[in-house]
Amino acid sequence: MTATAAPAPASAPTPGHIGARREAFAGYLFIGGPMILFLILNIGMVLYALYMSVWKWSVLKGPLAFIGTQNYVKILSDDKFWHAVQNTLYYTVIWVPLTMAVGLFLAVVVNQKIRGQTFFRGAFYFPAIASSAAITVLWIFLVSPFGLFNEIRGALGVNPIFEALGYGPNQDWMGDYHTAMNSVIILNAWTTSGTFMLFYLASLQSISHEVYEAAAIDGAGAWQTFWKVTFPLLRPAHFFVATVGVIGGLQLFDQAFIGGGPNGEPNGALSTIVLYLYNALFTQINFSYAAAMGIVLFVIIFSATLIQRQLFGRTPAA
Amino acid sequence: MRRALAFAMAIALITVACSAGNSPGTTGAGGSPGGSVAAFDPAAISGNATLGEWDSSPAEHSAVSSALAAFSVTYPNVKVDQTTISGDYRAQMITRFGAHNPPDIFYVNAEYAQDWIDQGFLAPLDDYIAKQGFATSPFFKNYLDIFTGSDGHIYGLPKDGNTIAMAYNSDLVSTPPTTMDQLVQTAQSLVGKPGIKAPMCLNAALDRGLAFLYAQGGSLLTADNKAEAIDTPASKAALQWYMDLFKNGLGVTNKALGDGWCGEALGKGDVAMTFEGGWLLGFMQTTYPKVNWKFAEMPTGSSGSKVTISYTAAYGIGVDSANKDQAWTALQYLTGTQGMAVWTGGGIAVPSRSDVPVPDGFDIIVKGAAYSKPGSGFMKGYNDVQTAFANAFDQEITNKTYNVDNVIAATVAAINKALAG
Repeated sequence: MTATAAPAPASAPTPGHIGARREAFAGYLFIGGPMILFLILNIGMVLYALYMSVWKWSVLKGPLAFIGTQNYVKILSDDKFWHAVQNTLYYTVIWVPLTMAVGLFLAVVVNQKIRGQTFFRGAFYFPAIASSAAITVLWIFLVSPFGLFNEIRGALGVNPIFEALGYGPNQDWMGDYHTAMNSVIILNAWTTSGTFMLFYLASLQSISHEVYEAAAIDGAGAWQTFWKVTFPLLRPAHFFVATVGVIGGLQLFDQAFIGGGPNGEPNGALSTIVLYLYNALFTQINFSYAAAMGIVLFVIIFSATLIQRQLFGRTPAA
Repeated sequence: MRRALAFAMAIALITVACSAGNSPGTTGAGGSPGGSVAAFDPAAISGNATLGEWDSSPAEHSAVSSALAAFSVTYPNVKVDQTTISGDYRAQMITRFGAHNPPDIFYVNAEYAQDWIDQGFLAPLDDYIAKQGFATSPFFKNYLDIFTGSDGHIYGLPKDGNTIAMAYNSDLVSTPPTTMDQLVQTAQSLVGKPGIKAPMCLNAALDRGLAFLYAQGGSLLTADNKAEAIDTPASKAALQWYMDLFKNGLGVTNKALGDGWCGEALGKGDVAMTFEGGWLLGFMQTTYPKVNWKFAEMPTGSSGSKVTISYTAAYGIGVDSANKDQAWTALQYLTGTQGMAVWTGGGIAVPSRSDVPVPDGFDIIVKGAAYSKPGSGFMKGYNDVQTAFANAFDQEITNKTYNVDNVIAATVAAINKALAG
């Protein structure tokens, strides 16, 4: 609260002074509700998970015996966990840039002054709000050996290209452990591109016209304008989208569970960290082990975010 | 302060009033003082209980409703509330166990029965069984054993069971094979037959493979279930025999056929033979009624004796339940001759007792119950063993290497880990 340098007589309290305090109080009150929920449901739950992970835990009786770092040691030597980490990292490293590219492409397209701009915006964003479970089930159906995708590529006559790559005419995309994760990557690249498109769109629209006019005056073509002007100016958006993407990608669960069941079939190709955590929880019924995995995942995501911030987070001086 | 005190007294009164609904004179399992020989008479019980079922078909739901309706006629003083636990049943139930509010009586699948018993989720039923004089001998023994804990107590009574039998298209297969050798011959004669994609639809995992392993003289575990027995010459030969069915094109997976499961493959006419349980009957009647097919017993293999595998589920009572007497009243009816007859009469499920009439079309399935071995729930961590086996087996088929050494190695590692952990 800063006392306003009011030219009012010093004897009476300045109206501005009381109003500022009341405003601040109202502000804290508004923040207070969500903040309490955040502290309990977010921070509190992370702390509770940490607590659970260092105790031998019985579902019915709660904590039984203090076991310290036993779960964490077990995680480090658990093949299945590292296999899940491998899958998750593979997914994230490929899916994030792919979806960023598709999202950026869609944003640029939708940013043009074309007829039906609003319709296309809505259409591209729709998969993000539709049920991921329903979309995944439909996808599995589409890419099954005798599903629509294989039928259409057969009808279009592009099968020889696929044969050359080693995929037969009735390739089971989701059921073959070579191609299952890639199928999920493509599925998620399509569904999440709408969200990334929105982020990029917001940033694109904040670039002033003058920059483009200057580029046009300098004789830059469309492609040059995009790469030399637009793309670098989107750097804050790149950082944001990449960070959000990595955080989301490392937590892949829905599609892995629906496509591969609790074991991430086929052959564990779809086993991800969160799916293995689910397995520890409900198949192995080992709550403290699952909590420890959750903490490890938290550390992984936090580190990834910090690294990204360190490497890419600094905005260049204007 | 006075208001708070009045409020607290009101709560106390309501609590006392509610708990008075429990019938006096009969205590829950283990609650009676030592030496009490008070008999348990379910007809004397009154009160409420909730029954939890998993989400399956509307037909199954209404069959349970019919059984409960018949129950309320015989036991009008006990009201059972039927609730469906939708989604992942196992996950939902574990969450409810943790919150100490599971339904009073609920389904327990053989797959995780031992896990739930070990975790202490289920209430032992021995006291009730003894005090009521409830006979457990009519239950098929290998079904009942699944729900017996390592401490010897019974924690669930099987409500139904299924065995794996051979289902064949009677237009394509005139005489069903009775031995495994005949099976191979029949399949060979069907290779390349126009109209079908493959002779048999087979499961590249232990879900059905275990039955073939047993039939051909192999085994997963030693007789006492304490050590692995898959790395023996007999088991290896049996496993290779099964793998060769895939190698020689006599059997393919449902995935390769593009079908959701092997039952669909049989119905669509993609294959002439497959191996499924009693659930195939309802499916074929509703989805592929025009297909002419029959059940036949699992062919006898080189082991010389009939064998198949079975899957079962039981009713269990929550250890935390406040209505154990009422839950037991419902349980002993639903798994008794009368209740099970209503539940299985419509062909939704197959009886797990030998003294309940066999519903139409399930003769072969019930015959198999007499000589079947458990297909799940016979060892802890079987899920991991199944996964390891299925992954390795699937890999051999996908890579067309058809070698069982890798499968055996992966399975041995998984079994040892599961038995140790």
